[in-house]
Amino acid sequence: MTSLSFKPRVPVFDANVKVGNHHNEVSPCVDRASLLAEMATHGVGRAVIYHALGDLTSPVDGNRALEAWLGEDGRLHPQWSALPLPRSLEQLQELHARGRVSSVRLAGLDIIDFPFRPWGYDPLLSWLSREGIPLWVPLPEMDPDDIVTTLQAYPDLETVLVGAHYMHAMWVQPMMKALPRASLELSRYEPIGQLEALLEEFGVERFVYGSWYWRLAMGPMLFYLHHVGLDDRELALVCEGNLLRILGVES
Amino acid sequence: MIDGVRVIDFHGHVGANDIMGMVDDPDLMLHTMDSCGIDISCVFNIYYPDGTTGNDMTARFVTRHPDRFVGFAYVSPLMPADSMVAELERAIDDLGLVAIKLYPPFVHWSLEHPIWDPIYEFANERELALIHHTGTEWQAYPKFLADVAPRFPKVNFVSGHSGNTPVERAQAIAAAQANENVYLETCSTFRTPGVIEQLVEEGGADRVLFGSDTPLMDPRPQLGKIITAQISDEAKRLALGGNAARILGI
Repeated sequence: MTSLSFKPRVPVFDANVKVGNHHNEVSPCVDRASLLAEMATHGVGRAVIYHALGDLTSPVDGNRALEAWLGEDGRLHPQWSALPLPRSLEQLQELHARGRVSSVRLAGLDIIDFPFRPWGYDPLLSWLSREGIPLWVPLPEMDPDDIVTTLQAYPDLETVLVGAHYMHAMWVQPMMKALPRASLELSRYEPIGQLEALLEEFGVERFVYGSWYWRLAMGPMLFYLHHVGLDDRELALVCEGNLLRILGVES
Repeated sequence: MIDGVRVIDFHGHVGANDIMGMVDDPDLMLHTMDSCGIDISCVFNIYYPDGTTGNDMTARFVTRHPDRFVGFAYVSPLMPADSMVAELERAIDDLGLVAIKLYPPFVHWSLEHPIWDPIYEFANERELALIHHTGTEWQAYPKFLADVAPRFPKVNFVSGHSGNTPVERAQAIAAAQANENVYLETCSTFRTPGVIEQLVEEGGADRVLFGSDTPLMDPRPQLGKIITAQISDEAKRLALGGNAARILGI
């Protein structure tokens, strides 16, 4: 039953939140407190966060800047951005040695125009596979053939495909079929009726709620997920449980 | 129906655009509407420059579920001026379509160019609503509505997508602030935080129209933009259906 007010009926762990500013665009949330307030407005308890600097300028500096947002209550969960460079991998390995890496995100792909191929990404992808660390892969910035061909070469690597939208309507179903270890993050996935079709084909375990705040508003996709016929168990998996499993985090 | 509000989606399509994943399956469209409380969707076909072909398809589509879909007429200045007006007369008087949709990016004239005037004059004479696609395309800048709206004061002009992106959105809001007959429609794949709040605060709650772009996009996330916005319940009621019912006379 839809009403003018909306709050989620299950616990929510957002898989995709950006914090901090771009050099050319400012976040509506200036700090950790304002982000937590935005999450509270929409009934989001926890979020995986990455820093905006990683999108356009420096994943290494972005990862450093992420520290200021984390706090100690476990509500904001760090996601470290990565480039296929030794400096970036060394930073991730140092963080991992301190037990602080539960997910990594590919960064800067639309800027550097560097193909996502094993010959360029093998050190990063092999390390992630060996250590059992999941990788977030932003679809809008990448060649679909690169994604499938490369990730098939790392069959043990768990991935989350991020940001598919209606322009990717042809990609998503065959890509999920070709990549059985891939889950789909849903922040932009709006082709009509296709979410129900994908849930039917692949099962609820392969989907995670993400808002991609502050690029996108936090509430609309959460509202959508409450109106696609999922029962409470299924909804709880999409909104929280599947992400906990992927990250290896206890609830 | 949502909390007593008859929900009207002001922006929907008829026709197939398979390349973009869009197919106008009425059962699927009704399923998505029913699952979130949308009562009526306004639909139009923009894929045929002759107007006639698409308007016939729109009329046939609406006839199957006349209580759930409302049809808008489409014409293009790629047609001769007298053909445009004749087709509009046919679409409104014979087919029962109730408003007009225009898509400036498909042609070589910006929306304030005189080539569109026969359409605007017809809409003014009939006191119709008229929705343009507005956005970043040079033909479709919403600032042009500020030129057109005062010349045709009996037309309710609707800025489709409210310009879509920040600079163009500001133009759309400015046009609405300056002209009582300019409205702001909400559908956009750019679901930027704070946009609905900005449209209501700066444009006015009585000027905002919920739209989804169905079936190019699922209407449920687009409805979620209104429901989860930090605006008053009264503003939500107006945006979800009150304003559309008023300007469409339904």
